[in-house]
Amino acid sequence: MKKLLTWWGERALLVLISVVVLFPISWMFLTAFKQPRDAYSTSLNFTPTLDNFVTVFSDPWNLGSMVMNSVIVAVVTVAIAVPCASLAAYSFSRFRVRGRKFLFFLILSTQFIPAVVIVLPFFLMFRSLGLLDTRLALIIVNLAIVTPFVIWMIKGFIDAIPTDSEEAAMIDGASRLRVIKDIVLPMAAPGILTSSIFCFILTWNEFLFALILSRRDAVTLPVGLVSFRTERGDLWELMSAAGVMITVPIFIMALLIQKHFTRGMTAGAVK
Amino acid sequence: MKERTLSYTLMVPAFLIVLATTLYPLAYSFVTSFREWDLTKQRRPGDFVGIENYVHAASESGFQNSLWVTTIFVVTSVIVTVVLAMSLALLLRREGRLHTFTRIILILPFAMSPALIGVSYRFMFNPEFGVLAKGIGAIFPALEGTPWLASPDLAMAILVITDVWHWTPYMTFMCLGGLASIPRETEEAARIDGASNLRIIFGIILPQMKGVLMVTAVLKTIFALKMFDQVVTLTGGGPGTSTETMAFFIFNVGFKWFDMGYASALAWILTAIMMIISAWYVRMLLSERKMATA
Repeated sequence: MKKLLTWWGERALLVLISVVVLFPISWMFLTAFKQPRDAYSTSLNFTPTLDNFVTVFSDPWNLGSMVMNSVIVAVVTVAIAVPCASLAAYSFSRFRVRGRKFLFFLILSTQFIPAVVIVLPFFLMFRSLGLLDTRLALIIVNLAIVTPFVIWMIKGFIDAIPTDSEEAAMIDGASRLRVIKDIVLPMAAPGILTSSIFCFILTWNEFLFALILSRRDAVTLPVGLVSFRTERGDLWELMSAAGVMITVPIFIMALLIQKHFTRGMTAGAVK
Repeated sequence: MKERTLSYTLMVPAFLIVLATTLYPLAYSFVTSFREWDLTKQRRPGDFVGIENYVHAASESGFQNSLWVTTIFVVTSVIVTVVLAMSLALLLRREGRLHTFTRIILILPFAMSPALIGVSYRFMFNPEFGVLAKGIGAIFPALEGTPWLASPDLAMAILVITDVWHWTPYMTFMCLGGLASIPRETEEAARIDGASNLRIIFGIILPQMKGVLMVTAVLKTIFALKMFDQVVTLTGGGPGTSTETMAFFIFNVGFKWFDMGYASALAWILTAIMMIISAWYVRMLLSERKMATA
């Protein structure tokens, strides 16, 4: 009897957790498909519509250009950060040279610096260079957040690869660079892919930098959300539609790499 | 090429990025923190004023309020998150279809944009049509029409809830990782001896999880000190200044009042706090590893 109670109790708790996680997300998705008048009620009895998506993509909201900005900023940031970080991660993982520990610590500790500290000087520099409100500015600052993080993650993945085959190849006369290209890269590929997606998510969701450094041309999706706060009040149905646009690509990516995701996201933190 | 040269060469690109995007701006803001620089009046950096900006911080009420707000926010969100994460980990470590499903969907809050989380909770707690405000009102009629985000304490509570919702999954995965690494034998022996679940959890599992829990708590503290996005999208620092965290206050000083010197000084105070906690974190990680290899 007691056992049965625990069994059901455990299931009930699990269902409760799932509800707590899924409810806010589902509510936003539902609202995105509601007519404005239905959005301002808690009723579930409504006729779904795509109007909100049509509205956010047309004037004056132009969500399309924000999507473009978000995609370009995130893709370019990943394309720069991940290759550089992979090389550094390999070096940190395999070589025992002087200053290695210090350098690694230095790079890691920058991850703990609050973004608001970095954005002040960048604002001043970009202002004098005329780079405010450009995608380039956002890419540069995002690299600051993402690079140390990716080095850390990829190092974790490379550390987990046994060195045997590398050593064997080098005894056979292969050069280090060859070994990296032909042995390490293929084996580390899933880890590097996971890290890239992580890096993409971080950049895609980044808010503080974009809020301060963009005005009109370079606005990304998360900052775009704020623009639905108008004199007429908050336009929830439009915010929800924009919210769906922000979350869907990220959710798909996160679920695709779900297995590695949980491992990667805690890789460096406890080990 | 010599191994050593190659080793450094491989680090160069990443190191240059970190140098240009973090270390240089840090130095720049450090220097600025000793200057007077009101961007509304001066195009170029003003005179050096020594530690005046720091002295100003010591007596200014806005900053002191933000220190207090940040402390309350960090302490409550860290405690709630760590306790919840540990409990969830204990629940989720077993195998089962429902367990796996729950573990998978736990990824979603972490992947969601924090700014959007703030927006969606603001919507759900709207007293007139918010689904949570209405739901609570239906269960407890006395709370019907409560202006959730217009009351300082409740606004802070909701801010903490959004942060807990966002971070608990990540911390749960950390605890799950910790649980997986402790040996099962003692636990099973105790179970055969007929020890109750509570005894096993408090007497055997939690003592072994102490290290992991400390690491989780410190990491969460660092994230909580940085928290900014939801303040903007959920409360806007209000009502009044009741949810103005340090990051948000620095943002206001810098980008509403354009007092760059003072903002830089405040930013450096926050950095100093973070550095102390981070150093503590790194030391704990190192001693953890020593324990693990011992």
